[in-house]
Amino acid sequence: MKYNHILVRYGEITLKTRNRNMFINVLKRNIKNALAGTQAEIKTDYSSALIDLNDESYETVLERIRYISGILSVSPVLKIERDIEVIKETASNMASSFSDGKSFKIEVKRQDKTFEYDTGEIQQMVGSHVQMSNEHLHVNVKAPDHTIMIQVKVDRVYVYCEHEYLQGGLPYGTGGKALLLLSGGIDSPVAGLEVAKKGVEIEAIHFHSPPYTSKEATDKVKRLVDIMSERIGAKIKLHIYPFTDIQTTIYKKVPDNYSMTSTRRLMLSIAERLAIRTGSLAIVNGENLGQVASQTLSSMHVINEVTNYPILRPLLSHEKMEIVELANKYGTFETSILPFEDCCTIFKPKNPKINPRLDKTLHFEDKIDFEPLIEEGFKNIIVYESHEKEEESFEDIL
Amino acid sequence: MHYFDNAATTKICQPALDTWVKTNEKYYYNTASIHDGGKEASRLLETARRQLSSMLGVPTYECVFTSGATEGNNLVIKSMLTKKEVSGSTVLVSQFEHPSVIDTLKTFTNYNIKYIRATEQGHIDLDHLKELMSDDVVFVTVMAVNNIIGTIQPIAGIASIVSQYPKVYFHVDATQAIGKVNINYEGVDALSISSHKFYGPKGIGAVLFKQKNILRPLLHGGGHEGGLRSGTVNLPSVAAMVRALRETLESMDNVQQRLEGYKLKINDAFSQHPSIQFQPSDVPHVINMSFIGVKGEVIVNILSEKNVAVSTTSACHSNHAKPNETLLAIGTEQIAIDGSVRISMGMHNTETDVDALIDAINYALREVSEVLQ
Repeated sequence: MKYNHILVRYGEITLKTRNRNMFINVLKRNIKNALAGTQAEIKTDYSSALIDLNDESYETVLERIRYISGILSVSPVLKIERDIEVIKETASNMASSFSDGKSFKIEVKRQDKTFEYDTGEIQQMVGSHVQMSNEHLHVNVKAPDHTIMIQVKVDRVYVYCEHEYLQGGLPYGTGGKALLLLSGGIDSPVAGLEVAKKGVEIEAIHFHSPPYTSKEATDKVKRLVDIMSERIGAKIKLHIYPFTDIQTTIYKKVPDNYSMTSTRRLMLSIAERLAIRTGSLAIVNGENLGQVASQTLSSMHVINEVTNYPILRPLLSHEKMEIVELANKYGTFETSILPFEDCCTIFKPKNPKINPRLDKTLHFEDKIDFEPLIEEGFKNIIVYESHEKEEESFEDIL
Repeated sequence: MHYFDNAATTKICQPALDTWVKTNEKYYYNTASIHDGGKEASRLLETARRQLSSMLGVPTYECVFTSGATEGNNLVIKSMLTKKEVSGSTVLVSQFEHPSVIDTLKTFTNYNIKYIRATEQGHIDLDHLKELMSDDVVFVTVMAVNNIIGTIQPIAGIASIVSQYPKVYFHVDATQAIGKVNINYEGVDALSISSHKFYGPKGIGAVLFKQKNILRPLLHGGGHEGGLRSGTVNLPSVAAMVRALRETLESMDNVQQRLEGYKLKINDAFSQHPSIQFQPSDVPHVINMSFIGVKGEVIVNILSEKNVAVSTTSACHSNHAKPNETLLAIGTEQIAIDGSVRISMGMHNTETDVDALIDAINYALREVSEVLQ
């Protein structure tokens, strides 16, 4: 049986009333972006959306929309005429693929009350037809193995029996914007995607320190942004901030065991400034309590001191394995573990402070004027937008 | 020149030649250098590698570039038969492999080489293969398309038999198949290919293989190609090979259809001749025919006078004195083997070439009419 449509059910959008249309329109745009390049088309209404597959396979389209936030669940459906005979036949055909000895029931939703039969009648007529033409099945209305759903609408009928839950959440772009600190490791892309799931638009900042960090390391972060953008179904902007001068200054002037603390404070302070400039309402990072020296509560306390901005830490209490699982699910893991030096590893102190003191930190930083360095960095930011074609694909050669 | 020796080598196609020149001009860097030029060249190399394996229908396979199929066949055979942990001593091979397979295998005197029988139609006898399979077999190698008569071997069938013996490594010499026949190589552990057989430059080829870390280098040195094939990578030729493959695959159906028409025309012209015998062939572009009573070489020389190039058995050993293994294997009579000529066509052949060939053969038949039987 080849399905011709996908029924898309909204997640938390259904809790909205007066501004529901705004959410639906954004979701529609995101799904449309994700379907770009396929024949499939999306139509939305107040309670659900319908994708017309136009000969694309259900599986292909499902993979495209799997991570679009705001979709609670989907069902592949057959859209048919409002004719009781057609409904009976379609349901029977569908049931013929159920395996031997399984039970089924028919469930009917009749949104159009003018249809010639009422819910009970449809259930009975279709149920007995399915049973007669499929002797290998039996009816069980309390705990069926399969439920065949029939939805009667004003001008059409849907028949389906599968139901797949996706991630829910709110449509990307309906919840304001946040700036993600993206290192290139396993955690930060996952943190970004977790926040994006709640509808928050993501922009990212990455610190690079050429020539100590390589082009490959930056390329890797760009690839991560590409993958995140595919997951979200929208473009993502990445700001690549040149951090070399600040880092070498810290390296020269701050004692080794406090250099990490100061580095993080500077990064956060730069992120806050960029957040303000880009209209981001919060900063997101992949911090995980106790994971490394910079992520102990004492470190967070001292590092966080540079900003009043809200910092979202969606992975704060996750187990590392949970984060790896999420990274695998989102498809960022393989790229994240590519072995290129980032700016955090090259000047890594031998013994970073696990419990840094704020007064000492302030004392060390007091002697240094970072201001001109920070502003110089902003002048040389490179902006990359996901899937920007910057490398040759060698089309003229191969 | 009316060129009918495309199974020996082909004329490089223009797009591949353009690519070769362009790559020499623009990406002449060493792919192992870490400056920008080197990195750019290395990206081109990796892009070429990905495109090659994906065009051949084995996108997950690893790929190492070689100087051609002879090196590729040597690499696979020597890697597999010098492994210390090999737990068996039988190697199965078809009777009509290329010398770069047979002669390489013969250098391993500690292995028991068994030949899989061929049918009269020029195919591997799968029943005989089943009989020969045992727990002692470690390596099976069969070519995808025969270079002498142009028969397509049942690669999928062999793969499914071999797959029941997990320790067996299955190698396919796909030299004559690439760009001519669609074959599913999924059950194959390694396949060797050679660029100049599909309108690419000479001196370049590749081995595509399923499992990492199983092949061992023939050439040691600077560690190119992941240590598997040292020596500065011949990037212009790699790029030109991939370009040639794309060109060949895109035009394959049209070309093969056109050549099928030429083959019929040649068949029609001579199939009734009492002194001419056609050998079986599964592909449009290879015709193997025998002139009974005269040496194939004589026919080649007469056609050459008329500016038509064909070959006796295979060009690689045209000057060998011993009778051809493929023709022997399918039970061809000695007199037909002696008089056999291979006509192999390619994308550049035209109707005019075919007419010239037919005229030249008719002329040859008149010239040697006294000795024909």
